[in-house]
Amino acid sequence: MCARVSVFRTNLFRVGAIFLVSLVASEFALGQHNAFDLDGKIIDPLQAASGKIVVLVFLRRDCPVSSRYAPIIRQISAQHERDASFWLVFPDKTETSQTIQQYLHEYSYRLPALRDPEHALVKLAQVQITPEVAVFNRSHQLIYDGRIDNWYVDLGRSRAAPSTHELDDAIQSAAAGNKPAVKQVRGVGCYISDLE
Amino acid sequence: MNSWPRMLACVLVLFASAGAVGSLLAKGSARSASNSAPDTGSQVTFNRDIAPIIFHSCSTCHHPGEAGPFSLLTYSDVKKHARQIAEVTQARTMPPWLPEPQELKFADDLRLPNSQIDLIERWVAQGAVEGDAADLPPQPKFSQGWRLGTPDLILKADKPFILPADGTDSYWNFIFRVPIEQTRWVKAIEIHPGDKRYVHHANILVDRGATSRKREAEPGSGFGGMEIRIESQVFDPDSHLLFWKPGTVPYVEPDGMALRLDKGTDLILNTHMQPSGKPEVIQPTIGIYFTSQPATKLPMLLQLENDIKLDIPAGQSDFLVTDKFTLPVDVNLLAIYPHAHYLGKDIQASATLPDGSTKELIHIPRWNLNWQAVYRYAEPVFLPKGTAVELRYVYDNSDDNPLNPNHPPVRVRAGNRSSDEMCHLWLQVLPINYDPAQGDPRMLLQEALARHNVEKNPADFEAHYNLAAMLQARNKMDDARREYEFALRLRPEDAAANNAMGSVLLAAGQPGEAVSYLSRALQTRPDYFDAHYNLGNALASQNDFAGASEQFQLALQVQPNDADAEANLGSALAEMGRFSQAKTHFERALQINPNHALAKENLQELQRATNK
Repeated sequence: MCARVSVFRTNLFRVGAIFLVSLVASEFALGQHNAFDLDGKIIDPLQAASGKIVVLVFLRRDCPVSSRYAPIIRQISAQHERDASFWLVFPDKTETSQTIQQYLHEYSYRLPALRDPEHALVKLAQVQITPEVAVFNRSHQLIYDGRIDNWYVDLGRSRAAPSTHELDDAIQSAAAGNKPAVKQVRGVGCYISDLE
Repeated sequence: MNSWPRMLACVLVLFASAGAVGSLLAKGSARSASNSAPDTGSQVTFNRDIAPIIFHSCSTCHHPGEAGPFSLLTYSDVKKHARQIAEVTQARTMPPWLPEPQELKFADDLRLPNSQIDLIERWVAQGAVEGDAADLPPQPKFSQGWRLGTPDLILKADKPFILPADGTDSYWNFIFRVPIEQTRWVKAIEIHPGDKRYVHHANILVDRGATSRKREAEPGSGFGGMEIRIESQVFDPDSHLLFWKPGTVPYVEPDGMALRLDKGTDLILNTHMQPSGKPEVIQPTIGIYFTSQPATKLPMLLQLENDIKLDIPAGQSDFLVTDKFTLPVDVNLLAIYPHAHYLGKDIQASATLPDGSTKELIHIPRWNLNWQAVYRYAEPVFLPKGTAVELRYVYDNSDDNPLNPNHPPVRVRAGNRSSDEMCHLWLQVLPINYDPAQGDPRMLLQEALARHNVEKNPADFEAHYNLAAMLQARNKMDDARREYEFALRLRPEDAAANNAMGSVLLAAGQPGEAVSYLSRALQTRPDYFDAHYNLGNALASQNDFAGASEQFQLALQVQPNDADAEANLGSALAEMGRFSQAKTHFERALQINPNHALAKENLQELQRATNK
């Protein structure tokens, strides 16, 4: 049935999809799949955002690309502190609050962190790789998911400096009430699906 | 309401497929394991099929304390990176091995066969099944600490380098002052470069004149820089490639090929590091293994290069640089080390033998500075006299080269910074089939190389200087003088060239002319021992013994334990009739070197003169 939809209907469905995201988001905290803060409390980062843009940053401690991004993530989050709530999300179910706390300390993070052992946030954000980010606008619509920038070309090769800045662009668009020009660009790093 | 979830589910499928397309586009040509063709073969399991590959080719680096950022020792370790492993092996990013397969084999070849890569891909596509525990081979055992056993001498860098959390790659040089009182022979050096997860490669350079110390802000601090030059005052060519990269197995030199270490020699560890996201403390240690067997075989590092041709226009994606050098003696080629920076794209070296046949020495079609390495041949490669060794390097200075340090691209020329370029190829060769009566065959190689470089670039100061030094060593003084003159036209104030010219003139019996060159050398470098010493001799030849004794004293301020300078100072003082002072210096020379013939002879002469 899906393969036969017209362009027109597809467009309609895409509008519908945003509803779904909202629906899932609102049901999220009540569902069976939950994300937890480091005290073990169930947290819905979208509900906790109080009207701010929400940025979920997906990280793996054992992914060197994730770790190398720490200074950039710290810098972008500080830059948009007024408009956006940043959450660091750890999708590895073997992580504990203690190992994450230690990691945050080592990399000088002062951002809230979440464990996402059941990949509820991974599914919500549609991310596949660490490090990738998901940007939700003030209406909790997912407006961008994917890489932070184009620093990494592939595993083993990185540019001297990134020349595109997808995360920053998406936050700026959301802050201005717009959608970013690019909705999704996959990142370079470690597959989240390997954790399932 | 019941119809909504179905419709939305349908839309989600569309979304997902759009994402998948985006994913493929974003990654270029890299194939994703999960997108592979449906499996038609038998079940692949970790325990039976994959573990042997991982244990052999991955675990060496991927275990605690090594360079791999995570361990790959168990099913659970590998499962957590399964798709990533499939992707990096497909792309041949891992295991890191740049050369294409060729007829001449390299030792420690890390390249995975296609069959193993396909097997990993099938395993992931089938769901990364663990399999029967009985099939699992024993986990490899890795020794901690020194791989070659406890070293005879362990040296730790005086001060650590703090690798910044972010920014571009860092290049730092650690100086190890080797505390030995006499010449020793080294059969191996094991390099522990600090935290191996952040050090990409490290290279030891032998500094026999302790010249690099001048670059330290304070003793032991080390100094920055991607490329360093070690100045050598005498013919003592570099002979060994002392290299570390992740996974390097410490190399023990073959019998008779020990590396000489003299008193006062420094070892410089040139280190390339990549930021980790947090500050890292990098403090390397090296372990030295001595042997009582002095070197009987004298290898040499031949450097082919053509930096003068490196002038790459902005935007050019296929800029070719070549160099071709013809060997003046038979050699065995033992190892090869190509080097370019971030614009390097396709790196090739070949040899054309006198019979017209060719051998591919190395071909790296996708150069990556981060994984540069020394490649040792599994067997020595015989290259007879008359063989032409050629390098062909292609550079990409376009915006399509993602590693281009300049965005937008700019004109790039040769230089030592990482944003400059290089076109270098080192060959470790062992001269063979030579007649020892004809002298050191390395001198023939060095002279031929210097002539080659002079022809390539008549404005190459070092080529003229090195050619002159070789001619001087072979007592061809007129030719040497002509080359030093060329060198001095290029760098009139250069201390080494002025000193060398002075020494040639002195040997030719022209002390008056020598004095002006030696004085100019000292204007440039007041603490230049050789120039003080030579000037002392030149002045003494002109019967200016007061001037001579002053120069020998200045020389001794620079190097207090030089027996020759003490003996000559004694001679100058004796000539001035200051016998008591002369005696002191002859005796001092004999304290330093009890067999110093001149000091012995003059001391006896002095005793005869004072007894009269």
